[in-house]
Amino acid sequence: MKNKRKTNLILNMDQDQLGDFFPLLQKGVTVEAHVGCSLELLLSHQWQIPAEYAAQRITTIFLNSRPIDSLATAIINEDAVIALSGAMPGLVGATMRRGGYYAAMREGITHHATNGNVVDRNATVRVKLFNLLLPELGPGFLQRGIIIPAGELSRFFNGKSEYFWQGCRSALLDNFPILPHLLSREDLFPDQSTVRLSVNFPSPD
Amino acid sequence: MDKIARIDMGAAGGPKVTVGDLGEYAGLGGRAMTSLMVAAEVHPLAHPLGAENKLVISPGMLSGTTGSMTGRLSVGCKSPLTGTIKESNAGGQAAQVLARLGYAAVVLEGKPEGDDLYKIVINKDGIQVIVDNSLKLMDNYPLVAKLRQEYGDKVAYMTIGSAGERKLLAASIACTDPELRPTRHCGRGGVGAVMGAKRVKAIIIDDAGMKMRPPKDPEKYRDANRKFVEGLRKHPVTGEGLPAYGTNVLTNVLNEAGGYPTNNFKSGQFADSAKLSGETQAALEIQRGGSATHGCHRGCVIQCSGIYNDKDGNYVTKQPEYETVWSHGGHCGISNLDTVAKLDYMDDNIGVDTIEMGVTIGVAMDAGLAEFGDDAAAIRLMEEVEKGTPLGRVLGSGAAITGKVFGVERVPVVKDQALPAYDPRAVQGIGVTYATTTQGADHTAGYAIATNILKVGGDVDPLKTEGQIELSRNLQIATAAIDSTGMCLFIAFAIMDQPETFQALLDMLGSFHGITMTGDDVVALGKKVLSAERDFNTRAGFTKHHDRLPRFFYNEPIAPHNQTFMMKDEELDEVFNW
Repeated sequence: MKNKRKTNLILNMDQDQLGDFFPLLQKGVTVEAHVGCSLELLLSHQWQIPAEYAAQRITTIFLNSRPIDSLATAIINEDAVIALSGAMPGLVGATMRRGGYYAAMREGITHHATNGNVVDRNATVRVKLFNLLLPELGPGFLQRGIIIPAGELSRFFNGKSEYFWQGCRSALLDNFPILPHLLSREDLFPDQSTVRLSVNFPSPD
Repeated sequence: MDKIARIDMGAAGGPKVTVGDLGEYAGLGGRAMTSLMVAAEVHPLAHPLGAENKLVISPGMLSGTTGSMTGRLSVGCKSPLTGTIKESNAGGQAAQVLARLGYAAVVLEGKPEGDDLYKIVINKDGIQVIVDNSLKLMDNYPLVAKLRQEYGDKVAYMTIGSAGERKLLAASIACTDPELRPTRHCGRGGVGAVMGAKRVKAIIIDDAGMKMRPPKDPEKYRDANRKFVEGLRKHPVTGEGLPAYGTNVLTNVLNEAGGYPTNNFKSGQFADSAKLSGETQAALEIQRGGSATHGCHRGCVIQCSGIYNDKDGNYVTKQPEYETVWSHGGHCGISNLDTVAKLDYMDDNIGVDTIEMGVTIGVAMDAGLAEFGDDAAAIRLMEEVEKGTPLGRVLGSGAAITGKVFGVERVPVVKDQALPAYDPRAVQGIGVTYATTTQGADHTAGYAIATNILKVGGDVDPLKTEGQIELSRNLQIATAAIDSTGMCLFIAFAIMDQPETFQALLDMLGSFHGITMTGDDVVALGKKVLSAERDFNTRAGFTKHHDRLPRFFYNEPIAPHNQTFMMKDEELDEVFNW
């Protein structure tokens, strides 16, 4: 996504519309991050997720499709894919848990610490949120901003119901107000561009 | 539960009912009852659809009580699908009602001459076996609707659809849920075909006039049940995840792990998995006026099921479970939840196992009968099963038969039973269980049952790779025991993580039966059940060479981890060494 034109879009939405963003979040969204650090630091310092919350609620984490057991030894590279999940049912759900009793059962795909040099720099990573973490962590990621290809965002807006648009209180496109309904126009965003989308869910008046 | 009813369907002069005491089966229930009885009484070389086979129906040890989560019903026999011993269990109302009538088991024996079809009515006055040829070739939904006109809404129904009557090897036995929908199935292993072979179309179980089973120590039982329920409610899996999203919450996670078998086990990830996820499914169900939180039997506090409506708000089916969404979804390259829901309804209605049928359709797609991702073709193949055409009979006989008929090399079965929704190349430990279980490939044969607390087999270091054999062994032992209690397997997470909840379960068992129950007792029961099952299978001709995965799992690396199944045969052979 480097060297592409980036448009800024800010939405102020009713809380009721949070769920409309869950398909994006579970499929994965790109976010800015300082890479080269541990997953532990990414979660706590950059994403401001309290350690206690991470320990108790984010019980399953994948880094590049590999379940991890230690937040401290998992180092984040540019373009890393990080999936965060709450506790899962089933034997396999238990198997995927961080440091779980049944971790040996997925030993072959477990993420292990690597000693390679990782450049410490600003970049992007892809984050996916699953299940209970969608309503709990989703608002934070949306507020900080996600980077999304224009085509994907157009498809997202095109499928939205009148109820969704009624819940969109206001929109700012590159700092200019825009009528929310216009966001579903396919020609609104330049081809091949990316959009930095921030969504706020202010408390009800 | 102080009696066993035996119904000889082949008796001279017509079916004969004999009710006797428990004898050597005293104290047993669920899988312990079905497996120990089949192992003792069925000739291991009997034809599964012949008169020598028996169909044993048994509520769990705590079914019919006020205890929560106690509504699982076990059905056991020699399986026509696998040729092994088989225990298949389901929720719904049947276990509770049958237990309150005092039956620890109802056993269908023999085989009638002729084409008459029977229904069995069980109530406080006894058991009647009645010829009813008007039910012939009816499928489950219309069948239950017709029976309700005669027997009403305050009973539980166990039925077979047309697949069971046709003795298809994927045929299931349906148990009605609290709304009297035939949605809860003893699905695996073709148990419906055995019921069909005995010409029994429906069992109507009426507990009018009966009371809850009384515990020996009511106060202690009540207290233990309260603690047990508290434990379930406070745990994030049983108190939050399962009620909100059901078992299909696993789709995203398995896909992320690269363990989501796609297009008949050709890849471990499905590009459109998010369209099938539990999160998407739950949102759709709520949006359409259905429900994402629903219990399959009264007394369930987890409520992992739901109601799936169409876009106009009309009922389609119960919330399809993870394995169903996978088998009819990603396994066949299909990403439309409405298609999956329709196929789930057809499975329930015809009376076939959703895992077996979905996997079979994927194998058929590999054979060129349809393209992966072709929703309409998948439905068309299911319609063949529904109509009982020659092709439908092949498909309805499962993945192994279909693979042989159409010359498919990649057929994901163990002991001829289709693999569930977890690729053993990504999660090697579950491959150990798939390969070695007495039941044929079965994800519930080695569930996450508190082996850490039970210390089955002593202290195992689970972080060592070689611990996988021990883990699988211990899981299979513990699961065999839990399957005997009538408890839903989903209690596993709360009792695994919360020792006080596990103790509450032991206290429920102990106070109900007036004994002191320990973890060692649970382990001993599990070993006894598994040993009997293994012994039966050995006498039926199964050897260690049957405890293997299909070769493609060893030869074909799967994306994204490009890994094969690496457990050695000698290691697999150690699973049952105790």
